[in-house]
Amino acid sequence: MKHPLLNLRASRPFSFVQGMSRRRSIRLTSEGTRFLLFTFGIGLAAINTGNNLFYLLLAMMLSLIVISGLLSEYCLRRLEFHRHVPDLIMANEPTTLTLSVTNRNRHLSSFSLRLLDVVEGQDVDRGLSIHLLPPQSSVLLSYPLLATKRGWIRFQGIRAYTLFPFGLFLKKGLYSTEAHLLVSPPIKPLTLRFVDELVSEGQGQSLPQRGHGTQLYNLRLYQPGDDSRAIHWMTTARTSQLIVRETEAEDQRRITVVLSILAPEECAPLFERSVTFVASLLWQLTERAYPVRLLIGTEDSGLGAGSAHLLAMLRLLALCERQSPEPNGVSHHGAHPPLTHEAERGYTVAVVPWSNQAAPTNMEQADRVLHATQLEELTHAF
Amino acid sequence: MPFNQAFALSSVLLAATAFTGLVLAQSVPLWLALPTAIILTVSLLHAGGNHFVRQAMARVTVSPTLWNVLLIGALAILLIDLTVVSRDLLPAGIHFLVMLLAIKLLTLQQRRDYRHLYGISLMAILASAALTTDAWYVPIFLLYLLAAVWTLLLYHLTQETGETPAAVTPSSTATGQTTFPSRITHHFFWLTNGIAVLTVVLTLAIFFLIPRIGAGMLQKTSGEALRTTGFSDRVDLGTIGSVKQDPQIVMRVELPDQSAIEKDRLYLRGLAYNQYNGQSWSHSGTRRRSLNLVADGTFLARPGGSRPLGGRSGTIRQDILLETLDTAVLFAVPFAELVNGEFLTVQTDAMGGLHLPFPPSSRIRYSVTSHVPQVVENERTASVLAYPDSIRAHYLQVPLGSQLVAELAHRVIQQTTTPFGQTLAIQQHLLENYRYSLEADTATLSHPLEEFLFTRKTGYCEHYATAMVVMLRTVGIPARLVTGFLATEWNEYGGYFTVRQRDAHAWVEVYFPQSGWVTMDPTPTVNAAVATSRWESLSRLGESVRLQWDRLFVRYSAKDQLAVVHGVREGSDAVRERVSRWVSSLSAPISQVFSRLAHLARTFQPGMLGLVTGVIVVGLALFLLMLRDRIGLWATTHLPTAHPELAIVQLYTRMLRTVEKHGVSKPPAATASEFARLVEQKWKAAGPMVADVTALYHQGRFGRNPLTPGELSRAAEQVGRLQSLPHAAR
Repeated sequence: MKHPLLNLRASRPFSFVQGMSRRRSIRLTSEGTRFLLFTFGIGLAAINTGNNLFYLLLAMMLSLIVISGLLSEYCLRRLEFHRHVPDLIMANEPTTLTLSVTNRNRHLSSFSLRLLDVVEGQDVDRGLSIHLLPPQSSVLLSYPLLATKRGWIRFQGIRAYTLFPFGLFLKKGLYSTEAHLLVSPPIKPLTLRFVDELVSEGQGQSLPQRGHGTQLYNLRLYQPGDDSRAIHWMTTARTSQLIVRETEAEDQRRITVVLSILAPEECAPLFERSVTFVASLLWQLTERAYPVRLLIGTEDSGLGAGSAHLLAMLRLLALCERQSPEPNGVSHHGAHPPLTHEAERGYTVAVVPWSNQAAPTNMEQADRVLHATQLEELTHAF
Repeated sequence: MPFNQAFALSSVLLAATAFTGLVLAQSVPLWLALPTAIILTVSLLHAGGNHFVRQAMARVTVSPTLWNVLLIGALAILLIDLTVVSRDLLPAGIHFLVMLLAIKLLTLQQRRDYRHLYGISLMAILASAALTTDAWYVPIFLLYLLAAVWTLLLYHLTQETGETPAAVTPSSTATGQTTFPSRITHHFFWLTNGIAVLTVVLTLAIFFLIPRIGAGMLQKTSGEALRTTGFSDRVDLGTIGSVKQDPQIVMRVELPDQSAIEKDRLYLRGLAYNQYNGQSWSHSGTRRRSLNLVADGTFLARPGGSRPLGGRSGTIRQDILLETLDTAVLFAVPFAELVNGEFLTVQTDAMGGLHLPFPPSSRIRYSVTSHVPQVVENERTASVLAYPDSIRAHYLQVPLGSQLVAELAHRVIQQTTTPFGQTLAIQQHLLENYRYSLEADTATLSHPLEEFLFTRKTGYCEHYATAMVVMLRTVGIPARLVTGFLATEWNEYGGYFTVRQRDAHAWVEVYFPQSGWVTMDPTPTVNAAVATSRWESLSRLGESVRLQWDRLFVRYSAKDQLAVVHGVREGSDAVRERVSRWVSSLSAPISQVFSRLAHLARTFQPGMLGLVTGVIVVGLALFLLMLRDRIGLWATTHLPTAHPELAIVQLYTRMLRTVEKHGVSKPPAATASEFARLVEQKWKAAGPMVADVTALYHQGRFGRNPLTPGELSRAAEQVGRLQSLPHAAR
């Protein structure tokens, strides 16, 4: 093991210096370069002649440089940033993010601030600028964000820079404001005919049963003990007999969507379109109030309905990763989720962007399997 | 004023300041200065928003070609100037710079033009720094600095606000303003001026700290030497009169070891003359010897091995700042013993005059330590003095045809018997019987001395001195003429004598064998009215400021920096010593008391010391414990806190605790006001105090404005009174 004294990189002073250098950087502007050249020239003249008035002018130039550094540092100091990001956004859908900037300085305003988003180590210019931020005050900035790919967007921080006061130096400061934004696959319109077909197939395969739901199952005579709220008054008025409404159990309309994550590199675009397809399908089914379940690899969203459940499924889709098949064609463990008992899963739709003919999987057990060809057809407009 | 307008105005002011510097340095001829000044004035008015000028200039459109032609013309003039007219780079360059400035002022449109203008103005201020060392540079420099700060700041801000598109102007909260105000606000005005003041302070600090290095490869002498009279190998009688009205400053003399009160006049010796031919003075010995260097920059003026002559003598140290003169003579109070200055060598002649090898090309500063001999007692009363042959050979010469003068001299000394008495008699005779006048022009006369003594009976210092020397010589007393300056103008602001051309003077040195050469002045004092008018007083103040400017800025050198460092070190040592002495003086009686106590304790009983100490410590702790509330109250209101509203919250909490101790607890659901009413019911005596503190609590905690220190003190006072109340009556 290295002696602590020799292990410089692990030492606290080194870390401090490294941190400071990352957090602050300074660069000459073109005006600054000219200014420095003039300063250098005057310095040379002063040394050459020994004229004290030249030294006075040199001192003035140097003091302007020092003042510039001090004031720019003071502008960047004690700034606080708070980022507000939504839990989940959709790819290709513009979203507004907000950033709160607070100046904790007691006396001096911050001038000419330009803010860059630091995402994945890269500075991204969102066009944010603050000309004047008075002391002990804050400002809320909003800017649009358009994510083009699903997955995580990791915001590492905000890099603020200023040219204040004289535009000689560009002083940058990095403020760590970590945030993670999950981008779900985009929702694309699917052909109504396909969705209707899917739904009717599902319905056809399921045996309607009496139960809790919203769809009408049966009308019958009122019996003591029935819930008076279930009385169907229109039919009662027509027949002059108390008629109650029985509903069809909604859980009979359950649909399970299974996505295979196995696909080689060359099928990556189709895989992504498949993910988008599954997201769009789930959205359509949720719109139609179908209880839906999503299986991706080992991830199971469980059966549910409503927008909250849809968001949970979209999160799973946002995070799913394609797996390349083994060279011998054997699929990874978990690439194809196990299809459980038919009664539990309801109508099952398997989305298989790639399959190995030599090694059939349990996806074939699904009620409807969408292979690559069909997926190509369905997603060619994505 | 809108930002853009302020920006244009400050840019033109920057150029105007630099141009003024050049004009004051007298480097811009009238044919160039006048049109440039007009252009500057018009630009200022245009930038200032004068409607008439703006309209007029809007009507005038000039093609870019014309500006290019003007530029080429300026280049051509530069070449002609350089080769034919000035034949010097600096003046020709300055003329070209001014022409560029004028052209640029008329073409200020793009930001690039403004940058060019700044570069030209910087060159101009640099040129004026090269041409002058006068104190008028100070206000010019300060104005330039102020204008530079404003200009740079506005240049940046107008660029920022111009570049940022409106679409990304962020929304602002109620408290924040993110867009820049369109006009110069009060706050911005003072902020910028504050930055300028900070820049001045930092400039001065950096100026004094920058190490001074002068390579001097292309150094040039600055300024012309001042013409002096009376310090050449031969001085015609009456030539000094020509400078007696000239007020130009020749030198400044400080007396570091003496106050001005002690000295109302100071003789500054230049050269001595011993040969008089009836019309002019000269000196017989022209041989000079170099002085020995005894220390760093210090020369010994007395010949090695010699000792100061007898007689009462005082030592005077003088620091002299000598202007650039056309003579190589170094002036000093007679007679110089040590000379200190940045000289390679100093020479002296046979009559004690100090010389440099060449007349200095710039102002010089040097120090001299002089011994002023006076006549010893026995020589005052001696009836006969024995003069050495060498003295008799050189200092008794009289011109031919001096019988009348000799007769006059013998008549004057009739009543006296001693040489000293005779000297004084002759001096007194001249003082009382002749009138001082500068109008006596005897330069062209064949016998100027006789004219002065017998005909006109008016003259000035040269006549008086010549008369005294010749009269003394005719009675056998060696004497010589000395020319130099008589300093009488004391500057109370700067603490120095200001010596001008008109202070040129001639006096006499009389030889006494034991006392040596003694200064005597037969010229009556012309009691010029002491300058008491306010104008003269202001003038002296200005003169003092100029001297300080010269010393602290123009002449500031590496030697001064070292002196500052030494001074700081010595000062800090002195301060440290003083502090330690003060601490010792304070702690001595305390440690004395403790040692006495300890001795007492030990003598009384050996273990008593520990007991006493323990008792003291416990007592102190109890005492502090008893006062903890008071201390806490004091700390709450007096110690600074990051959040001032916390103070009233702490006081309110303290009040609740105090009231609780007296049996009245605040129910959790009760508001502060409800609790105050409850206390009023249950503990009447505390009611008003609790109500007051509650009101202040509401104000400080929930109000817009924080509590004043007075209100906080009042709250603390109420809590203190509450703590001292007896138990609540139930």
